[in-house]
Amino acid sequence: MSQPRSEHDPQERYARWLELGSRLVFVFGCVALGLYLTGLLPALVPVRDLPRLWTLPAGEFLRATQAPAGFEWIGFLRYGDYLNVAAIAGFSLLSMVCTVRVVPAFLKNGERLHALLAALEALVLLAAALNLFPGAH
Amino acid sequence: MLLAAGLAAGLAAAPSAFAADGAAAAWWLWPLGLFVLCFFLGILAVIAGVGGGVLFVPIVASFFPFHLDYVRGAGLVLALTGTLAAGPSLLRSGLASLRLVMPLALAGSVFSLAGAVIGFALPVNVVQTALGATIIAVAVLLWVAKVAEDERVHADALGRLLGLSGEFHDAAGGRTAWRTRHTALGIAAFGGIGFVGGLFGLGAGWANVPALNLLMGVPLKLAVGTSGLAISLINSSAAWVYIGRGALLPMIAMPSILGVMLGARIGARLLHGMPSALVRHIVIVVLAVAGARALARGLGLWV
Repeated sequence: MSQPRSEHDPQERYARWLELGSRLVFVFGCVALGLYLTGLLPALVPVRDLPRLWTLPAGEFLRATQAPAGFEWIGFLRYGDYLNVAAIAGFSLLSMVCTVRVVPAFLKNGERLHALLAALEALVLLAAALNLFPGAH
Repeated sequence: MLLAAGLAAGLAAAPSAFAADGAAAAWWLWPLGLFVLCFFLGILAVIAGVGGGVLFVPIVASFFPFHLDYVRGAGLVLALTGTLAAGPSLLRSGLASLRLVMPLALAGSVFSLAGAVIGFALPVNVVQTALGATIIAVAVLLWVAKVAEDERVHADALGRLLGLSGEFHDAAGGRTAWRTRHTALGIAAFGGIGFVGGLFGLGAGWANVPALNLLMGVPLKLAVGTSGLAISLINSSAAWVYIGRGALLPMIAMPSILGVMLGARIGARLLHGMPSALVRHIVIVVLAVAGARALARGLGLWV
């Protein structure tokens, strides 16, 4: 298994997309954190208020700060704190993208069962990302 | 000694800045303290062969003032990012198998989602008590777990159907063939482990590796690599629950992620020169203490 792999091999394809994606998101996360900590981007929740707020449960925090819940944070990317949430979401999105990319590679190899498992995994991750599961709200 | 001093510094750095009245004058000491702590946790985790998340959650939940919701969220993402970084090289070297991961991660992802949702529905003291008990169980598991190597594993029917076999080359150039046994039980185990991981925000290498190695008969090196890849998929599903509930505070999560990633890189370089058995014993003691503290907090015995 350590021989050079074809770029069409599902495992190599997954590795390639994961490598590229994790580097991009890591750089994005570092930039986002720098903008947030230096105050170059304003924060929706002022950092000086955080020590008072981070002792609260997440639900109370949202109510106290009127911060966005669910996917509403996408509309708040002009704020440093929510640009960082986008970076965290980027890390969470990577596995789904990689899994989607290997489905055709498995099919091309004639590995239908693995293609089906990868497609189901991608669907579960998509449902999670879109909050489409019982108890999400 | 240096590691222990660093851990102590990380734990001690921030709290004094703000102990009296909760004033936020030195708010930045908290993320700084987290970064220092997580840097040393990252070193310890690599040398001891455990994930950063399993150390992070009980220690930060016990000794920092953050609500457990944010600690669980940060722990989950911290475990996720650590495994994402290692994934490509593990896949290319053959020390992680995508085909083996797929059925395990599918079960783990579904139950991890369920665990995360249920975690938000339970009272915090119940989650804290269960976390303490789980961490103590993890410490015991790390203490008693054995390694199965050089076993002749006979593939079972489900393992053959899923094509769960192959071979990898170790550093010495030898080939090691592998196949799986008890495949259905292994998939079920990953469902249970995923649930615990989603509920508490833990990476689950401490359970994945024994499930792969002892239960399914996968060689240890492949079990370790495949466990990392599985965590990256399984934690991705639960992470969305934490994001949607507002339980991922960047000021807690980001310094922790960067600290552990940097520490893990240093830890990987120190790996060959450190007494890993001793470090592993230190980690077991740290887990036992943090678990006991979380348990006592959950039961209201030591708040």
